[in-house]
Amino acid sequence: MNGKNSAQNPSGNRGWPSWRACGIGCSPCGECLPRPIILTARDYQYGDALRVALGMGMALLLSLFGVPSEPTRAEEDSIAALRQAISQLELTPIQRHGAEIYANLCADCHGDVGQGVEGAFEAPLVGDESIGQLADRIHRTMPEGSPEECEGEDAQAVAEYIHYAFYSEAAQLRLRPPKALLTHLTTTQLRQSLADLFAMDSWMPTVSGEQGLKAEYYNGERRKKEELKAERVDPAIDFDWGRDPPVEGIDPDEFSILWSGGLVVPESGEYEIVVHSTCSFMFYLGGGGREFINNHVQSGDKTEFRRKIYLLAGSVYPLRIEFRQRKRKTEIPPARIQLAWAPPDGVERPISAENLVPHGAPATFSLQTPLPPDDRSYGYERGIGVSRQWEEATTAAAIEFAEAIIDEKWPEYQRRHRDKVKDRQALKEFLEQLLSAAMRRPLDDALRQRYIDNQLAAEPDDAEAIKRVLLAGLKSPFFLYPSLDIDQPPAARTANQLALVLLDSLPTDKRLRQAIESEKLGTDEEVRRIARTLLNDYRVRAKTRAMLHGWLNLDHLSDLSKDPEQFPGFDQPLVADLRMSLLRLLDAIVWSESSDYRKFFTLDRSLTTPRIAAYYGDHWLPAEPWKTGFETQWTVSSPKHRGLLTHPFLLGGLAYHDSTSPIHRGVFLTRYLLGRVIRPPAEAFSPLSPDLHPDLTTRERVELQTSPEFCQSCHSKINALGFTLENFDAIGRYRETERGKPIDPRGSYITRTGERVEFSGAADLAKFLAESDDAVRAFVTRAFQHFVKQPPAAFGADTVDRLVERFRASGFKISELIVEIAVEATRPMRQANQEIASTTARQ
Amino acid sequence: MGKRERLKECHTRREFVKRFGVSAAAANLLMGLPSLSLGGTEKRRKQRLVFVFSPNGVIPAHFWPDQPGEHREFKRILQPLADLRQHVLTLKGVCNKIKGDGDGHMRGIGCLLTGIELFPGDIQGGSDTPAGWSMGISIDQHLKNQLQADPATRTRFGSLEFGVMVPDRADTWTRWSYAGPNQPVAPIDNPYEMFNKLYGQSRNREILASVLDDVTEDFERVKELLSKEDRQLLENHVDLVRGIEKELQMELEMAKRSEDNVHLVPDLPPNVDEENDNMPLLTRMQMDLLVNSFLGDFARIATFQITNSVGQPRMRWLGIDEGHHTLSHEPDSNEDAYEKLIKINTWYCEQVAYLAKRLAETPEPGGDGSMLDHTTIIWTNELGKGNSHTRDNIPFVLVGGGLGFKTGRALDFKNVPHNRLLMSICEAMGHPTPSFGNPDYCTDGPLTGLA
Repeated sequence: MNGKNSAQNPSGNRGWPSWRACGIGCSPCGECLPRPIILTARDYQYGDALRVALGMGMALLLSLFGVPSEPTRAEEDSIAALRQAISQLELTPIQRHGAEIYANLCADCHGDVGQGVEGAFEAPLVGDESIGQLADRIHRTMPEGSPEECEGEDAQAVAEYIHYAFYSEAAQLRLRPPKALLTHLTTTQLRQSLADLFAMDSWMPTVSGEQGLKAEYYNGERRKKEELKAERVDPAIDFDWGRDPPVEGIDPDEFSILWSGGLVVPESGEYEIVVHSTCSFMFYLGGGGREFINNHVQSGDKTEFRRKIYLLAGSVYPLRIEFRQRKRKTEIPPARIQLAWAPPDGVERPISAENLVPHGAPATFSLQTPLPPDDRSYGYERGIGVSRQWEEATTAAAIEFAEAIIDEKWPEYQRRHRDKVKDRQALKEFLEQLLSAAMRRPLDDALRQRYIDNQLAAEPDDAEAIKRVLLAGLKSPFFLYPSLDIDQPPAARTANQLALVLLDSLPTDKRLRQAIESEKLGTDEEVRRIARTLLNDYRVRAKTRAMLHGWLNLDHLSDLSKDPEQFPGFDQPLVADLRMSLLRLLDAIVWSESSDYRKFFTLDRSLTTPRIAAYYGDHWLPAEPWKTGFETQWTVSSPKHRGLLTHPFLLGGLAYHDSTSPIHRGVFLTRYLLGRVIRPPAEAFSPLSPDLHPDLTTRERVELQTSPEFCQSCHSKINALGFTLENFDAIGRYRETERGKPIDPRGSYITRTGERVEFSGAADLAKFLAESDDAVRAFVTRAFQHFVKQPPAAFGADTVDRLVERFRASGFKISELIVEIAVEATRPMRQANQEIASTTARQ
Repeated sequence: MGKRERLKECHTRREFVKRFGVSAAAANLLMGLPSLSLGGTEKRRKQRLVFVFSPNGVIPAHFWPDQPGEHREFKRILQPLADLRQHVLTLKGVCNKIKGDGDGHMRGIGCLLTGIELFPGDIQGGSDTPAGWSMGISIDQHLKNQLQADPATRTRFGSLEFGVMVPDRADTWTRWSYAGPNQPVAPIDNPYEMFNKLYGQSRNREILASVLDDVTEDFERVKELLSKEDRQLLENHVDLVRGIEKELQMELEMAKRSEDNVHLVPDLPPNVDEENDNMPLLTRMQMDLLVNSFLGDFARIATFQITNSVGQPRMRWLGIDEGHHTLSHEPDSNEDAYEKLIKINTWYCEQVAYLAKRLAETPEPGGDGSMLDHTTIIWTNELGKGNSHTRDNIPFVLVGGGLGFKTGRALDFKNVPHNRLLMSICEAMGHPTPSFGNPDYCTDGPLTGLA
């Protein structure tokens, strides 16, 4: 094994170097660090990096788990516990034999229970290789320097022992069963909860499939009913009428158009909304009277209007644009309007039908306060750290929310409850409604006294009083830590968990509230039923999309710049189109009727745009003519499409700026799609430059560089997968030759169960991935972690097994997987229910 | 009484201020907010300017002094300023000569502080051609930029734009301040919003200080329900909160110690809605905020826009039920309307007088004399006279010594473009300019004889 000792470890930390530059010349992004799939001992290896990243507050927390550096009492206790547990194992004769050899030959460097030894091999001896693979490796390389001391049957015995005792994931689960940790709201959960709290008395928009905006065309500028000349759905707002009437029967000198509907946001982030207009318009966004851009006065030659706003992916923002050509004594300008945006990717483009809906949406709240990013040390966001920055951001968020309530919701409530306005009864009821939703519990007398009555008594001004109450309420542990609802009845807890898991939010949804009231949340079937009704909620869609981002690690591919000489015209707008194409392809697969996971790897079509079609041609041409106002269109069917596997955004992202990178692709396939562990390289390497070896293909060059034995232990796996995608060049364009030589896309993979699979190219690989148990498990695990934000094993050691089984049985239906995750994640709350029920029955 | 108890009892911003005598300036300094003049020592005398707008013209016969020269008896409309006569300078014969697009009202308000034409646009007034926004920056924003560019005169906001009952629509009739061509600046006409802008951050920290204790109590309570591991996260969180609480206490303590520099945050009456009948109260609240913001040196320039061009307040508190603009169109022969218009304008003058008196009564912090000695209020109007829509003889009543003009007298310039007055103001503020607004009206230079 390619263990390193601290003398060679430049970071000087115990365990693996924290952010070691990967040998392949990639940036020191930490990508090459192993990503734990479940909370096992492997997670603890992150201690050093975490310590740096999160500061001492987190370090305190980590010390509980036994971070390897600076041995603490807790760590010693934990190792003692390990010894105790392992000593009680019942071993087979072969394993016993292995244990003896291990104690004699291995323990000095690896520790008596595989915990690692300072100055020798520091990382704990855990991983996902099969017994056969371990045995082979021990046979060839161990002990370091004198492998002849342990060969053949001895190596096999050692492999069997360590695999069973502590190396395998099963052993780790047994030794340190993961628990669900107390977590606070993630940034997304905080934003979404506030948005839903704001809209708690409104209906929630659901995905309808309709696209575009409702448009009403009026003769004259006053929008009189009798002057309505056309009513239709416009796919987008992108018109240049000149001096012509926009529709028949309208005087081009004086008309008005009202567009209304909703803005659907594909990803959370800062958007710059841009309107180009030669005429007067008023633009409302986010709520009835919320003025977003006011160009009531058309003045001079000002025709461009911009404004930035943070938008949340799970929301639909009501949108209304009143456009007016006014009659005037002077020359009337040509009429033109375009609604565009620059999404977080920064590339400005018209807002297309795919992001617009012709039906309205209730007023919503979008937090503008910046929030510090969540802890991602476990490979997915979760709220396990508190920092001063986070604490202050939650204050700022509470104040911003309170101000929105003061401006909009309180006046609205007052209008509806005029009878109660006196002696602040209405205010009390209004605040109690908000707080009990935020705190996930009805307020008892003590809470009401503390959070409402005392605050109101202290402040005669209503607006100020609201601020006090909401600041206290939104900083209370009951809002920030969702699982503190342990004292609540099972139906309420189940609804809380369901809202958190599926919606990243509070159970303000009518469907959930009704279910709580009728206590229809006890059985699996009841949870399934309600979870299915939530699937067409925009928040579930957004959360699923974010899950897929994480699964494919897309955030790390955002900067796709390529050698302009080799790839002229490969520019940022094209990259933005490719990204959009991939994201919409994923969406389309998940939310199609069959919702079939296998299509991620087998679908023979993709989504294209005019830019992509012009650049990639051939199988990227649209199957049907382009539709006005839409950005993407299905391509023709082609055997060259294999779902996401052959998508240029992914393949281009997993490549250098001038050549492919089979290693990046191989690491991606191994780690993300197959969920396997890869150790970081022993030393930092720079990739061999293509210029130094002008006659070698990329494959030959990579083989050359990774040929040493100590590279091969990992690269034999990585390269063998990466090479299968060599038919796609550095921008993901199909090719059959490189430097005049035919591409050799052959490769292989050894599964967790030790089975060897051969491929000859992307199509073979795709076929394998679609059914591979390793890949399915990786997907299911990732989905569970993303939705629940806890390790699946914390919900029972066989949680993933159960989910995989049901996933298969459903025909790999992703939407059903999401439902089943909700079922599993709510089981502890519901079991409490059954316990109570049975106790009551006994009594 | 322990520190925490004291904090807990200190519930409102008013109480907080009363109890701890925190000065806005001191509080801001201590709370790490940008405040005060940010620069080093000042060489120049501190100068401030307030432009006050009232709409629809005046009744000239009851407004202008009969003759130039030292003030004797003021006419009815200016009576409220009688006590401050020696601080008052009236400038007759200054005319808004800007032509181009837009009706009289639009050009009246839109060119008043900018001295330049309106862009062609699609807003059609009662007559003339339609227009858009102003083609240039207004003098308040111009001077703010000058003052902010110099560390010696830089302040937290530079300028503040107050309003009273400005309709909730952005058009040429509702804006008089411009940050540049096509860039109208919206006035803040809600006193609570202005309060927020001025004191919001520190007040939020006060609120935070007083609710944190309740919150931490709950943290302690729920901790008992948790496992050892889970408790750790909450403990870290509570430690942070307690740390912040302690810092807030220290801030308040330190603020208490610097009581000598006292200018209190104004005490706004609660729950005042923006309604026609609340206009006197709203004006008072805004003026108090203005005085206090000057006291804290948050800004040296302010605009104070009461209603808007074509403003229609119904001054029922004066027994007048009709809207102001409607009345202003009545011929002089309508005695009832004529009398009401005098009363209305007198009411506006009372507001100016209130502001001037408050400044006169307040000693200049760290300087000589009163704040009024360092402030010039320029009360002006979109029109010279309502029913004729003339922009000749635009009312310009200057109160105070900020610009260093010789006050206590009436001047008549007999028909000069108001651009020249704008230039004089720039010059008096220490930032002379070869022209302001449309240079065609600036060829004769700043007005002379003011100082």
